Amino acid sequence: MAVDNQALSPSAKQVCIFLSEYAAWLLGCGATCIRIEKNVDRMAHAFGMYYDMSVMPSHIHLEVWNRDKSDTYVNIRKMHKCAISFNINTQLSKLSWDVADGKLDFGGALDSFREIIKTPPENKWLVLFLASCANGAFCRLFNGDWIAIGLVFLATLVGYRLKQVLLESKVDVRIVFILSAFVSSVIGAGCHIFGWGTTPEIALGTSVLYLIPGIPYINSVSDLLDGHYLCSFNRFVDALILTICLSLGLSGGIMIMGLKWF
Amino acid sequence: MWFVNIFWDGFFAAIAAIGFASISNPPKRAYLYCAVIAAIGHSIRYILMNNTLLTMGIIPASTIAAFFVGLVAVFLAPRAKCPAETCFFPALLPMIPGMYAYRTIGALLLCLHHSEEEIFNHYLYLLSYNGFTCIFIVLGMVIGATLPVFMLKNLSFQATR
Repeated sequence: MAVDNQALSPSAKQVCIFLSEYAAWLLGCGATCIRIEKNVDRMAHAFGMYYDMSVMPSHIHLEVWNRDKSDTYVNIRKMHKCAISFNINTQLSKLSWDVADGKLDFGGALDSFREIIKTPPENKWLVLFLASCANGAFCRLFNGDWIAIGLVFLATLVGYRLKQVLLESKVDVRIVFILSAFVSSVIGAGCHIFGWGTTPEIALGTSVLYLIPGIPYINSVSDLLDGHYLCSFNRFVDALILTICLSLGLSGGIMIMGLKWF
Repeated sequence: MWFVNIFWDGFFAAIAAIGFASISNPPKRAYLYCAVIAAIGHSIRYILMNNTLLTMGIIPASTIAAFFVGLVAVFLAPRAKCPAETCFFPALLPMIPGMYAYRTIGALLLCLHHSEEEIFNHYLYLLSYNGFTCIFIVLGMVIGATLPVFMLKNLSFQATR
């Protein structure tokens, strides 16, 4: 980030660059538009600045000025691309209150921000295990029997690991979703193929549910309610494309195993 | 038996919420709150959909359950020192109509694959049914969960203070 630490009375340029970088991180880690607006608003006021901000689907457009408009600055910052992280979202929200309550000056806020964005993601093996348990539990919620639950756990374990490996290899996320859904559905079809248990259709149906992009769907409606129609539409289409990809993978799995959709 | 079913519904919803939440990297302290809130929300939906007095469809039941999810999240968020959405977004995930979502796409693919009027209409019906149900469940859920956040603005936006 191109801002030097300066504890007292930061310029409009420094505040603008900091706040646009801050907002770009919030947008990237999956915060809703109303959250971004509220956090930026309280920090801008704490720094004694006025501002105007547009939250675009993948950019932050921010103008900052002082009371008599003798010092103004405009910055456009591209959204920081990262996985959804409520941990970073939470820490950045806390940072905004620390600034608003006078616990941190501008330099302190910058240092704290630089630390927060280094936050590592959750341990991938733990996520793999928890996501597999979650999908198994999901199968139970749909009244799947214990054989179906076990198979869904296995299907998720293999599919999610494949997703992790392919994403680490920088494969396009849409291809990743198709392949993961395909592999999970082929394993999930085991109950059908071998006649295991009494709920084979539930095993197959729930085997790919871990890929449903739930948070983007929820964020999309949240932005819609708040009047951020562009961001809402963007998030909805992103989620829809991933849902289409997982459906394609599932279709492929169902076809290759000689089963029927409905 | 009914109470046992409610307990297991809440229990498995809590496991689902913890697992799906982990994909979204929440703070460690938020897991327990996500699980509790998801268990309450899913149990309420189960009760609303499986009772003899006033059996509800999945859309109104999800909306009302989500309202309680939002309400509980707003009160627990300051205790968890997390924004309300960190607690209730993962808690809503077990109620996301994933099966309706991909069945919509599946019906669309089958629509495109068949030209006979009767079969086409059948898949068009499945497309509309699953699509509308999915959209209105998500809409109802988010409206329901967001209402308490806006009703108690001062509390919900100061959770990390």
